[in-house]
Amino acid sequence: MPRVQKFTRRTLLSTAAALAATRVLQAQDAGPRVATLDWALLETLLAIGANVVAATELRQFRQVAVEPDVPAGVADLGLRGSPNFEALRFARPDLIFNSNFYASADPLMSRIAPVETHAIYRPGESPYVLAEQATLAIGERLQRPAARRMVEDLADKLDRYRNLLAKGDGRPVLPINLGDARHYRVFGSDSMFGEVLKRLGLVNAWTGATSYSAVAPMGIETLASMPEARIVLIPPHPMDAFGALTESAFWKALPAVRENRVLMVGSINPYGALPAAGRFADFLAEGFSHARNG
Amino acid sequence: MPGTASLPLHMPTGLPGFVPAAALGTACVASFILLLTFSPQVPGDTATAATLDAILLWNSLLPRAAIALIAGAALGLSGALLQRVLRNPIADASTLGIASGAQLALTLGLGVLPLLSGVSRELIAFAGGFGAVAIVLALSWRRGLDPVTVAISGMIVSLIAASLSVTLILARGEYAMSIHIWGAGALNQQDWNGVISLAPRLAAGIVAAALLLRPLNVLALDDSSARSLGVALHAVRFSILVLAVWLSASVTATVGIIGFLGLAAPAIARLCGARTTGQVMTAAPLAGAAVLFLADTLTQLLGPGFSDLVPTGAATALLGGPLLLLLLPRVHGFSSVTARADTSSRLLRKPAIALSLLAAALAIILALVLMLGLTDTGWSVALGLLFSELLPFRLPRILAAGGAGAMLGAAGFVMQRVTGNPIASPEVLGVSSGAGAGLTAALFLFGFPSPAIMLLGMALGSLAAFLVMIAIAGRSGFSAERLLLAGIAISAFCMAIVSMVLAQGDMRSYILLNWMSGSTNRAGAFEAWTAMIALVVLSAPLFLMIRWLTILPLGTGLSRSVGLGVLPSRLALAILAALMTAISSFLVGPLSLTGLIAPHLARLLGFRRLQHQLAAAILIGAGVLIMADWLSRIVIYPYQVPVGLFAALIGGPYLLWLLGYKERTA
Repeated sequence: MPRVQKFTRRTLLSTAAALAATRVLQAQDAGPRVATLDWALLETLLAIGANVVAATELRQFRQVAVEPDVPAGVADLGLRGSPNFEALRFARPDLIFNSNFYASADPLMSRIAPVETHAIYRPGESPYVLAEQATLAIGERLQRPAARRMVEDLADKLDRYRNLLAKGDGRPVLPINLGDARHYRVFGSDSMFGEVLKRLGLVNAWTGATSYSAVAPMGIETLASMPEARIVLIPPHPMDAFGALTESAFWKALPAVRENRVLMVGSINPYGALPAAGRFADFLAEGFSHARNG
Repeated sequence: MPGTASLPLHMPTGLPGFVPAAALGTACVASFILLLTFSPQVPGDTATAATLDAILLWNSLLPRAAIALIAGAALGLSGALLQRVLRNPIADASTLGIASGAQLALTLGLGVLPLLSGVSRELIAFAGGFGAVAIVLALSWRRGLDPVTVAISGMIVSLIAASLSVTLILARGEYAMSIHIWGAGALNQQDWNGVISLAPRLAAGIVAAALLLRPLNVLALDDSSARSLGVALHAVRFSILVLAVWLSASVTATVGIIGFLGLAAPAIARLCGARTTGQVMTAAPLAGAAVLFLADTLTQLLGPGFSDLVPTGAATALLGGPLLLLLLPRVHGFSSVTARADTSSRLLRKPAIALSLLAAALAIILALVLMLGLTDTGWSVALGLLFSELLPFRLPRILAAGGAGAMLGAAGFVMQRVTGNPIASPEVLGVSSGAGAGLTAALFLFGFPSPAIMLLGMALGSLAAFLVMIAIAGRSGFSAERLLLAGIAISAFCMAIVSMVLAQGDMRSYILLNWMSGSTNRAGAFEAWTAMIALVVLSAPLFLMIRWLTILPLGTGLSRSVGLGVLPSRLALAILAALMTAISSFLVGPLSLTGLIAPHLARLLGFRRLQHQLAAAILIGAGVLIMADWLSRIVIYPYQVPVGLFAALIGGPYLLWLLGYKERTA
């Protein structure tokens, strides 16, 4: 796939540095045992070095969100939609964090430990702002100064990238995720990725209606209606989809593909919190500055 | 043979055949012209825009139109072949489980076992589809492939395959995307590859069908006449079957499940005046192509901007359901098979003692599932402190499952009495799917509705579906075949609504997917109390209505003559049954076959008097779902399988075995 830039050694190194930092934090005093059902809260808790003892769908989390690293001792609670309460009970958490998505589990979980709810995705509200609030609140609750540092560091980083990207061509960006070879979903201005674009001073090419997340699957032919855009492909993709798509005459004829304006980044959790936002920003800064120089 | 088929020699005189055909053709042409005229244009500077518009026209719009025609024709031909070879007017890729089998195989092959990704999609789909048909036919072999048995087996195999697919999707946490678009059959194309792979297969299918035409004509006679005319019966049947499965599996592999088309196309062909096998074989592919083309063009025309309104496969199911209901009174001349009321050959001498034995068994099951469980380190028997600590997590879900099972047993029993049909049940009559449509409506009206509103929506949906079924049953004189056909139509219509929302991939789809899979995991005090109170309040009156339940199956005339108000009594029973269905499908999802199994088992055990049958159905229903709930908890610990799936896995094969077994011993 010659037309798609991969992320480079620089990204890998920065990732490794971030991971190392996380490990150091965990080595400090463990703090209360916490558990969560929500992936956005899970990555937040891991990133600020909380003592996580149980979380959901860890097999999938390690593949989709990739980082932060999940320590081996964390108990898997099964599906987010139907968490195993008995396994949660055996993990003996002191405190459980939950989001509005899985609120229906609250009554049963509160029998195990106190439940605190933090919403990151709510209709009509900015997930980035909510993620900042949730991170600060959780940091306060667990007395983790790393939380405030993470919020400030990410804001600084986005500012830095913004200046860097201001020298670019100002083309709109279309962040998408492939469903199969013929469908994609697009992340609008009120999604987490859309918020990151806004903070980086980039224009989202998708101007249609969205509902605080990815919009419904769109036919791949609709890519033709946005000829000016840079396309950012965000995995995970189904295995056969990418190959089948890039083989097709339609894909090869797209202006973005012909003019080498397609960027494939690493896998990111689309319903993530600040770590996912930072990861997306890193990929964009890396990919776009690379594209301009090379 | 339990039933012999005859050719549909006479059509009721009404519209001449060419009128509907011409109307369909005109609609296709007109809508395509509209689409070409009004399809959205690419914005931007003129040169680029013109290039892109040309690409869209040649690489998207035209191959899409072509694939709609080809897939429609292939499904129409496949349906016509299946219906003829099985002598079954309700055979098609959906009712025989081909589509669900192919979908399951693809989900498994592409997602779970990446080693298989070297094998072609089509081969995987064919293996799955053929596997499903083989199971269906093997299950109904003993009953001479009688259409009703085939349809029940097909429906059960479909249910099991569909719920296994849903479980696999949920287990991988990828509920939102690919499989569901694809499952709902979207026809979007971005090159001619789909057309290039499907067109030669359709051509080969047409040639093979033409060659098999003479043997097909002979097959319409019964077996001995066919054999005396020198037809190698089994070889011909088998090759036609393989051809039909291959055609529909190819379509499924290329564009996903296109609901109902194989059933609708031959019916439309007959409506357009096709009489002989040759005419039906020619007209059915044309009708299929026209219907799919029209549906696909409409969903593009009505969608906002560049996007489709709904996946086309779901749209055809929407068209297909009502169309079939309309056609119902006009479809004549098929085998008049009715399922026998399955009273057991043996009779229980002391039903009261048998009932108390059942109750005791239920109590033992209850105690076992409360105590026995898995942990990270292996099996554990919870006693003492651990028991009381785990009780808040185990008891509510067990009560919810048990209560739902009991209500499904009772609801199935009432439906079988009210419709006078031994195969009626919430699942077969589409009442469970009606609840799904109601839930979908509630989700659209209220965004994030409270459980009470969700329940209300489901109750209204169930009631509407059941009342439609009673009306149909009344009009068609309670023929088992029509009732089944109508149930499949309603079910497909409601599930089409559900899968349209599923394909949107947002939070509403997530709620619906959770409902479909039927998990008792989050059951708490609300669910447990709902189940228990509803069970007592709704099933107690049934024991006072035993007189109605005795008289209603004997027919309207007799019921009136003994002074029974047919309409009010039916309505009261319908409301009770629909409420019980809705509440239990809220608790355990629509997939469990408990409502079909429990009353059957009660009769097969030898309970004769209705109050005993009802009580036994309630106890058996509760037991089945409690066992299923326990299994769902432990099979892939700490991950959990939806309980509805396990109920279908336990109950489906058992029921089929019993049907076959009874036939042999009777």
